[in-house]
Order: sequence, then C-alpha cells, then structure tokens
Amino acid sequence: MAEMDSWRTVAAATGAADRAAAEEGIRLAYRSAGLTGPERVVWARSPREAVQVLMGTPGPDGAALTGDETGASVRPAVLSAPWAAERDRAHRRLGPQGWSGHWHATGAGLWESTRVLVDRIRAGVVEQLADGRETETRVRLLLLDAALGQHDAAWLSAFDTDRPGPLGGAAMVARAAGWWWPYERVAVVCERPTELHRDEAGRLDRADGPALGYEDGFELYAWRGMPVPGEFLGELASLDPKRIRDEENAELRRVMLEFYGYDRYLAESGAVPVHRDETGILWRLELLGDEDVVMVEVVNSTPEPDGTSRTYWLRVPPTTRTAREGVAWTFGIAAEVYQPLRQT
Amino acid sequence: MYRQGDVLMVSLAPDAVPAAAVDAPSEPRDGRGRLVLALGEVTGHAHAVVGPGRLIREAGVFGPMLLHVPDGARVVHEEHAAISLPKGWYRVVRQREYVPGSVRIVAD
Repeated sequence: MAEMDSWRTVAAATGAADRAAAEEGIRLAYRSAGLTGPERVVWARSPREAVQVLMGTPGPDGAALTGDETGASVRPAVLSAPWAAERDRAHRRLGPQGWSGHWHATGAGLWESTRVLVDRIRAGVVEQLADGRETETRVRLLLLDAALGQHDAAWLSAFDTDRPGPLGGAAMVARAAGWWWPYERVAVVCERPTELHRDEAGRLDRADGPALGYEDGFELYAWRGMPVPGEFLGELASLDPKRIRDEENAELRRVMLEFYGYDRYLAESGAVPVHRDETGILWRLELLGDEDVVMVEVVNSTPEPDGTSRTYWLRVPPTTRTAREGVAWTFGIAAEVYQPLRQT
Repeated sequence: MYRQGDVLMVSLAPDAVPAAAVDAPSEPRDGRGRLVLALGEVTGHAHAVVGPGRLIREAGVFGPMLLHVPDGARVVHEEHAAISLPKGWYRVVRQREYVPGSVRIVAD
C-alpha cells in the first residue's frame, strides 16, 4: 500500500520535471532494449507541444523535428516488449486468477482515474491541433507512439520496477517527467502539468480556471469531470434560474445546475417536494424538452464538527417515486430491502 | 445492513457467499494495517476496517466487494462515526448517482 501511495503521487504530480533523472531513465530504457540511442533528447512543455514539434513546428528551444531526424518509433522495443515480458512472467508466477487479483490490488484503481486523464489529454491535443482529416490522423498516430511517463504509474505499480530490471528506465521517467516519445535517434519528453485539479472522485474539476494546465498554455477545463469550454466557467458566477432554463445543451445545463446548487434552484424555481419519509425527501423538477431532474435530499447522519448536519442531494432516475426508493437506488438495491441498522 | 457515508455493508447469509470468494485472495492492507473499503482519491480519507478479516474484490474497480470479519470488526472513517460490524460476511456497496445516460460513483 505504501508503494501504491507513492505511485498515486507520481500519477498526480505537477511541477517541473527532474530533467536529469528523466533523461537518465530514457537512456536506461534504450540500453535495456539493446539500443544505443537516443542521440539527443528534446524537451516540450506539454503533450500538445511535443506533438507539434514532431509535426515540424519549432518548439521552445527552436527544435523542429522531421521523420528523417527522429527515425522510427522504438516504443515497441523500449516499452511495449519489456512490459509484455514482465506481464508474462507475472502471469506464469501467479496464474490467471492470481494475476487478476494482483492487478486489482495494484494498478486497477489508479488506472481507472488516470485513464480518464489520459483520454482527456489525447482528446484535447486532437481537438486543438487537428484542422482537417489529414492532420487529425497524423496527430492520432503520433499520440499512439507516446509513452505516458507519470501516467504509466498504474501499470508500473503492478510490476517490479527495480532500476536494473527491464522496466527500470520507464519507471525512472515516470517518476521524473510526463509523456515521452522514443524514436531511433531522438527522444521527445514532456514537462509535467503545472495545474491539476480533481474532485474527491478523481475527476477533473475546477470552477475558476483550467482543471489541467501546462506551461505552454495547453489547458483543459472541466467541472466535476465534465469537459466545458473555458469561457463557460466565467459565466457560472452570474447564473440565474432563467439562464439555466434557457440553456439548450443538456450537459452544460447540468453543469450549471450543479454549480448553482440544486437546493437553491429548487427553492427559486418554486419546486415542491413530492415525497418524504425517514430516509429523506424526494424532489422533482420538470425541465422543458429534457427528462425531469429527480433528487433525493439526504441529511448526513454524522454531524459536522460544529454540530450541524450536512444536507446533500443525489440525483436518481426519473422513474423514482419515493425517497426510500431513491436512496436504495443509490446503493443498487430495492426500496423494501434498504434498512440500515445503523448509519453514520 | 450498515451504512457509513457513501458505503453500505449488507450482511450476507453464509450460504449466499459465492464459493469462489471463500478461497479468493484478500486485498492487501494499507500502511496502517487496515482493509480499505473505499478511498477518497484527493483527501486520502478512507472507509477502512480495523481488525482481523478479509476483503475480496469481486469485479470492477468500485466493487462490489465482499468482506469477511470472523470476529466482528470496526469500520472507521476520518469524518464519520465508527461502525461496529457483527461477525460474518458482508457485501460492500459504494453509493452512486444518476447521470442521464450513465451512472457515477459518489465520493465523500
């Protein structure tokens, strides 16, 4: 578990890379794969900038790369092959079921949240760099060549990553830097993000700026995991119920509702509770041209340090008829079965 | 059935325990020797079991999980009062929230 905590920290690390350690890790990974390269290491400030540099746009140090300069991708030799070999070794040692248990105990949970981040970064790079079908294909292919550096933490956590081992180099890069691209003659490697804001569930989440940001201005905005345009967030501070009702995009309207506060919106829209029992209160709010918002209002059983009880709202399926049914649904069980003997 | 915040522990009759679970390996304990039922990704606050027992992850990252506490146990959390569990088997369920088109896990 201490080991997992350290990989968790690696995956979420922000701030300047340890360039010396990252370059040493990259060279170690090449050597372990029986390669002599790379002849040089080029730094980029974000995955977006790395892809730009690889498409021939000069980066911060003026370096632009062409396929002739970099040579072919050696990701298969440097990362994929040692990885597959380590996985096979673990499979043989633990058996299929043992491996499955091992993966669940190590990387599975961390990958679940890291994967979302990785997907968002990829989508952001494609969205911001692709100006046609041809460039889009090019960008996507370059993204496939990327090793994920710190975002490989979940996978690395499942294996032995001792420095002399086959994955020692990859683990060193992961602890020191962001994404990297190993090619025959050149390796391109990224700085880590400068900003990373997530909510308790690990989703990208920030109301007053980019939830993920890199030094070169590559930014992604999200509210509780939902991708939103940057300018949309600025508008959130001045919302009113009419503006929310008038929003035609259901996803953005949901963000607005969450930001504004369902409770406040319910109060100001004159919504009425439709059912009340000992588990809580059920509210229904009709939205024009969209499914109803149905929520259970629940009081936290454990008082806060100041003695008050926190009230919170959970959205439940629109078919919900009673508060008990709603609360039971949040735990995936039937209303008549939901009977906690004790709750805190 | 016991509830601590966003985690529900539903007691299971011994004959309802899946046979595969009885011999399945237990989840490892954390640095403080606890079985972690749910971990807050950002605060690090955990719903955790103190005492002897085994936690078996069935499928999926968020469970469900099976918990076996042969002598009973205490479930602790940084922000919720502790809960005493009588000895036996439990299914551990994380709370979820409805999102049109999908479902997401609640975290407290």
